[in-house]
Amino acid sequence: MRVATRYFVLLGVFAFLAGVVYWFITYESVGTVLFLAFACTPAIIAWFAIRHGSMRDRRPEDDADADPAERAGEVLGPFPAETVWPIFLVLGSITIGASLIYGLILVPLGAALFVWALLGFTRESRG
Amino acid sequence: MTTTIDRPPQAPAPRPSPGIVHRLVSTDHKNIGILYCVSAFIFFLVGGALAEVMRTELMEPSRQIVSNETYNTLFTIHGTVMIFLFVAPFASGLANYLIPLQVGAPDMAFPRLNLSSFYFFIGGGILVLLAGVASAGQAAAMGWTAYPPLSEIRLSPGVGPDLWILGIVLVAISTVMNGVNILTTAFLMRAPGMTMWRMPIFTWNMVVVAILGLVAFPPAAAGLTLLLIGRRLGGLVYDAAAGGDPTIYQHLFWFLGHPEVYILILPFFGVITEIIPVFSRRPLFGYTGFLLATLTIGMLSTGVWAHHMFTTGVVDNPFFAAMTLLIAVPTGVKFFNWVGSMWGGKIWFAVPMLFSIGFLLNFLIGGVTGVMLASPPIDYQAHDTYFVVAHFHYTMLGGSVFGIFAAIYFWFPKMTGAMLSERLGRAVFALLFVGFNLTFWPQFVLGQRGMPRRYVDYASGIGYDTPNLVSTIGAYLMAVAVVVFLGDVWRSLRRRRPAGDDPWGGYSLEWATSSPPPEHNFDRLPKIRSVRPAFDRNHPGSAP
Repeated sequence: MRVATRYFVLLGVFAFLAGVVYWFITYESVGTVLFLAFACTPAIIAWFAIRHGSMRDRRPEDDADADPAERAGEVLGPFPAETVWPIFLVLGSITIGASLIYGLILVPLGAALFVWALLGFTRESRG
Repeated sequence: MTTTIDRPPQAPAPRPSPGIVHRLVSTDHKNIGILYCVSAFIFFLVGGALAEVMRTELMEPSRQIVSNETYNTLFTIHGTVMIFLFVAPFASGLANYLIPLQVGAPDMAFPRLNLSSFYFFIGGGILVLLAGVASAGQAAAMGWTAYPPLSEIRLSPGVGPDLWILGIVLVAISTVMNGVNILTTAFLMRAPGMTMWRMPIFTWNMVVVAILGLVAFPPAAAGLTLLLIGRRLGGLVYDAAAGGDPTIYQHLFWFLGHPEVYILILPFFGVITEIIPVFSRRPLFGYTGFLLATLTIGMLSTGVWAHHMFTTGVVDNPFFAAMTLLIAVPTGVKFFNWVGSMWGGKIWFAVPMLFSIGFLLNFLIGGVTGVMLASPPIDYQAHDTYFVVAHFHYTMLGGSVFGIFAAIYFWFPKMTGAMLSERLGRAVFALLFVGFNLTFWPQFVLGQRGMPRRYVDYASGIGYDTPNLVSTIGAYLMAVAVVVFLGDVWRSLRRRRPAGDDPWGGYSLEWATSSPPPEHNFDRLPKIRSVRPAFDRNHPGSAP
């Protein structure tokens, strides 16, 4: 994860410097905000990764001489092989969005579908 | 040149095909990858059909097969479908299928998020198509850029533009979900020994694409949501009369729109970088340099958006011209990598390699004309003419779509266990290459002669007739190529000429498992000691 973290740091620094340079060249606010917001995205990820020890920990995938056996038998967690809930999640999202066009009356229906799908996901995870 | 390869005399009996319901709800990354690719290709057929109607309309002056209004809808939906529903999702499909295989993982990091991402894409796609078929006067017809004030409700009434906005926002959500999944998989689920600097180039490029998607899509989604609020709830952000500023929308849109060009092309830089060394029988020339060039392109691509706004007069043209010219340098480096990989190699001109070479030739023209357009004086002359249309089709169709066909011919045997026809594949390549250049080269001429884009008609005798006729003939040839390709796929799936696990002598890890791979991807992972683990396994004498 060290290489990835360094890349995020580099990206954040680049976007921050680009924003500063852009501001002093153009004094244009929209582009400056975009650059600075862009700087925040990788900076947040890098901050999170560093806090969780990404620069310290050495994982088997970072070891050039590691063997596949080093991770054999590792349990990643239970994953349902099939799920229908994404379909209802999208239907709920579309219905909520469509309420802006066809009337706010659709919001409760969309929200109900959305929450039902989220609950379905959660119950499935416990399974 | 004759090349022989060892194949098993008989392919293992194909596993029973899962039912359609299972396919639609399965969280297996390979299944989702195929769903993405097939859906995206269906959208391509829709977008292509719209393009054929437009080219037929433009074949001769004064020919009227569609109304002015319908023509506006045609180019709006064509552009949207090809960019947001075909090229980018096809790349997502390849990424879903290949990344876990290439890094030695059993699946993507978040399988259900993965399926959700697919359905958000499908939901968005359906809304975009509905936006195009809304009743007369209601359809989306404001161009794929949807600039206000044209996209405001007084100039674009009806539900079509609203459905279009909702559709693109859903696609943006899908892209963000997919980006999170790709990054987590590539960073945290690699097999032991698969260090970052051994990751296949395709996976690396998708990492950069995922980051670009995470950075660029949210501002555009925000911009589009503000547009919808302006249309339906009376928001005034883009209303100049009320103190708003419509160019804010252009900034937000193009902050996505230009990185989007790289979101569309970088996956296929990755594809041909996987293919060229394999068919040149050489390792990739300059792996590290190639990666650094990709990372540089990723960073610089976020600082070039306003070259689309040179003629607005509200952006700093020299800044964006300089950034745009700068990005040509790492792109040029890649050409040295590709040519260097072929140089001195024993080149096997199989169909994937033909499409890769076609990609290089077409994209070179698209890239060079992009450098021309990065110069504001030239851009002022060419802006909104067919020169720009030709330029971006040379990058997107000549580049990305040739990359898509290269990918299909390269990985179809891995995905299905069956080979596509080499003979028909060559015919598809020839028809597509000739048809493509016949279609779009004349459009450079039209642009230089001043023909504006998005016009439904033109006067006769002012130099537009012949290039338009030739362009339409080329478009028909491309349609024939796609029909032959579909026939080839159908025939191959029926006949199932066995491919074996590694028909090309591939380098990356997916070639070290069966075709198609088992549900958990690998029965046994080889040791990973270089960027070519499958090659090392097959040639232990030359392994590091």
